[in-house]
Amino acid sequence: MLVPTIGIEVHVELKSKAKVYSNSLNAFSPEANKNMTLIDYGYPGSLPVLNREVIDMALKACLALHCKINKEMHWDRKNYFYPDLPKGYQITQQDTPIGYDGYLEIEVNGKKKKIGIERIHIEEDTCKSIHSIAGTKLNFNRAGVPLIEIVSKPDMENGEEAKAYAETLRSILLYLGISDVKIEEGSMRCDTNVSLREEGSDKLGTKCEIKNIGSISNVARSIDFEIARQTKLLEAGETIKEQTRRFDDSTMETVLMREKETGNDYRYFPEPDIPYVILTDEEIEAVRKELPVLPNELKMKYRETGMSELAMNTVIANPELCAWLENLFTKVNPVITANLLTGDILSYLNKEKISLKDTKLEQDMLQDLVEALDKKEISSKQGKEILEILLTKGGNVKEIRKECGMEQISDDATLRKMITEVIENNKESVEDYKAGRDRAVKYLMGQIMKASKGQANPAKVNTLLLEMLQKY
Amino acid sequence: MTNYLDLSVTELHELLKKKEIKPIDLVEEAFARIEQRNDNAFITLNKEEAIRVAKELEEKEVDHILFGIPVAIKDNILTKDLRTTCASYMLNDFNPVVDATVVEKLKACHAIIIGKTNMDEFAMGSTGETSYFGPSKNPWNEKKVTGGSSSGSASAISSRSVAVALGSDTGGSIRQPASFCGLVGLKPTYGRVSRNGLVAFASSLDQIGPMTKNVSDNAIVLSVISGRDERDLTSSHVEVPDYTKFLNQDIKGMKIAVPRYYMSDVIDEEVRKQVEKMITLLQEHGAIVDYVDVHHMEHAISLYQIIALGEASSNLARFDGIRYGHLTESYDNIEELYKKTRSEGFGREVKRRIMIGSYVLSGENADIYYKKALKVRKALANSFAKAFEDYDLIIGPTNTNVAYDLGTKKDDALKSFYDDILTIPVNMAGLPGMSLPIGFNHEHLPIGMHIIGNYFEEGKIYTLASFIEQELKLELKPKEGETC
Repeated sequence: MLVPTIGIEVHVELKSKAKVYSNSLNAFSPEANKNMTLIDYGYPGSLPVLNREVIDMALKACLALHCKINKEMHWDRKNYFYPDLPKGYQITQQDTPIGYDGYLEIEVNGKKKKIGIERIHIEEDTCKSIHSIAGTKLNFNRAGVPLIEIVSKPDMENGEEAKAYAETLRSILLYLGISDVKIEEGSMRCDTNVSLREEGSDKLGTKCEIKNIGSISNVARSIDFEIARQTKLLEAGETIKEQTRRFDDSTMETVLMREKETGNDYRYFPEPDIPYVILTDEEIEAVRKELPVLPNELKMKYRETGMSELAMNTVIANPELCAWLENLFTKVNPVITANLLTGDILSYLNKEKISLKDTKLEQDMLQDLVEALDKKEISSKQGKEILEILLTKGGNVKEIRKECGMEQISDDATLRKMITEVIENNKESVEDYKAGRDRAVKYLMGQIMKASKGQANPAKVNTLLLEMLQKY
Repeated sequence: MTNYLDLSVTELHELLKKKEIKPIDLVEEAFARIEQRNDNAFITLNKEEAIRVAKELEEKEVDHILFGIPVAIKDNILTKDLRTTCASYMLNDFNPVVDATVVEKLKACHAIIIGKTNMDEFAMGSTGETSYFGPSKNPWNEKKVTGGSSSGSASAISSRSVAVALGSDTGGSIRQPASFCGLVGLKPTYGRVSRNGLVAFASSLDQIGPMTKNVSDNAIVLSVISGRDERDLTSSHVEVPDYTKFLNQDIKGMKIAVPRYYMSDVIDEEVRKQVEKMITLLQEHGAIVDYVDVHHMEHAISLYQIIALGEASSNLARFDGIRYGHLTESYDNIEELYKKTRSEGFGREVKRRIMIGSYVLSGENADIYYKKALKVRKALANSFAKAFEDYDLIIGPTNTNVAYDLGTKKDDALKSFYDDILTIPVNMAGLPGMSLPIGFNHEHLPIGMHIIGNYFEEGKIYTLASFIEQELKLELKPKEGETC
């Protein structure tokens, strides 16, 4: 039996303010060559500077992925000729990646699995080549944009695991706030390595690398295709040649790009223009303290509240909703909060194609609403009505209830009067009650609530009703 | 023609301050001298701009010792709007849009840039002969090489065409031509002077330094160009002293080491004898001089070929004609663009060094050569450090010999490296080193002494150098037409 072995290399663009080796702005610009300095241009005599913010961002990723940290690190030059590489070399970290030997926990069909992280290193992006009939043009806005490359160990065995890995990694990076991780826009790029080996054998098969995977769902599709392709070849007695393939999302197939040239020689050597960077334990701990609660930790916390898996996953996949839930978590019932956020609120946002901050709803309004629902001061149907007002117009929950006649009646005298009336009109139910039929109380309760148009405080009515029935 | 440029910077400063001369007098003398000598010391002259600046300065207060002083800049240091070629066809039309940090600093003091000096192409060579523009002439004897790679700066100072000049030194490129042309040349501690704007040859070895007629001028220029620069992460935060404070101090009790390697019989006898005379002189004045062993110096050439050329092969990769510099006229694909542009743009020595450098970094060679070289380099630095535990300075000859005939080493790629066996170890360790004129050989060619200091102790070098200069009072201006 053949068993697949899968490893993934992920390049992530960091959203630092400046580029990694120059102080050019690191931002999208519709105008070509707007965000560049002589350093990005590879100008003679220019030297790289090192943006400290990038190190802290990379460090966050390393700590979140349980990596060991190279406290003494240097940079290396990767030398090759290509027009999009202005200096003729890329400044990267070959020998001393900032992080190494970590892991990421994934969950597939309820089963947890740790995927090893081989290394995380800091490097720079290249220019963007724009090809046309008139020739190739270079846009330097992207040159020197900071990247981290996260290399997994070959610990995955199928497309589903690989997809879970990419998804989990994406959500962690999103939570860390260090990247937009938009795979479609290229701020997250996945390259996968797939090989097949005989079950029980330690000897890995020849691997093929797949590039150009444009979405997370294509991670699984491309791997599944590749596994099938390789299986077919091997079963036909053919050998696999080491190669780079790309995923074609129109045919959903992987296509040969190039066979591995022997001796791809990057002539790595330590970058002499950037001195060693020493990270102290204090600096590392300071970054660790800034780490937000990560998705997997959130999941464990939410599960304990009895929140539904659906609500939990939806809220975690949406950092804005999650931030609200986190803020209200200890103040009001988190299950009700999560249900509102992922239910009516989210569908409203989706319908209007806006985000939470664009609505009139504020966190304290949601807090009051959840509280009212939790204390059963209002019905869920009333809650829905109030929420709609809050989203579109905002306002005070108590006042809205008053205006819409949803104010609760808790006054003893008023309630007693109502109860007396209902009892008088339902003598047979009182007889039932005395005969020991519990159903009667429920019926009477319903009648009282109906008479009060839902405004009576149900808890209070219950106590008073029982008391009055005793005496009857 | 006037002879103001025979004077020291301090003397010129006094004259300028007293309004006895104007900056324009110095500028006019500089260009007159350059035109008269016609010794190929300059690649590009800055005549119009220099005259404009000199005139402008007439309205200003003489507020700095370098105010109005004519300077020459080696042509691998960027000067805004002034062609910077690195003596290569590759950059024949390259007009930088910025100044190097050192040029900014000189301009801020109102020094006047006279022109860009000739050099070995991309600073690769030790004779000046690899320049696309041909060699500069040695004013002491025009049949002899000036040394290199800072050939034009050495020639221009020796002929008194400018007051002071900047050179750069990767393996001896300031000190060796200074020694061949009878001037004071200092390679500062690695990190003392910003490399921002210096077209890189070997980034871990390159330093810009002053080349001057005398020790005092040298200390003045170093005080100006040194210091931390946020644009060069390898520049040091160590405070910059006023180096002129170290001049004319007592040398009594100074402890000086002479590495035995520096006095072996590969050194020309006349050169060695002259250094021995200096040792006696120093001892007579109360200095303690001992012979010591500094290990691994003998590996200097190998270290240089691996580390300097490895780095160079990478540093010169950016010259592909796409963004600046020479671009071949026609090409069918990107591979051809690279091949033709670089074949046409670079000279033979540069190509040879790029090839050697690429080779030592290729595949497993990186481990066999490069990583091993880094270890030996560290051991060499440690060996120097050990000597500096007991000694203030290290001395010896700057070179194995005096200036030799033009053309001698042109066809022997390896031989020209051997010029630098005494200077390269200093770059490898990152230490400061100076070449100081200490006399002449029987052909009346200058002999240089090497003074090496501990990290950031350029001050001690100046103390010793100014002492020797005072004692010897050598006539360091070549007589015009003397031996031609």
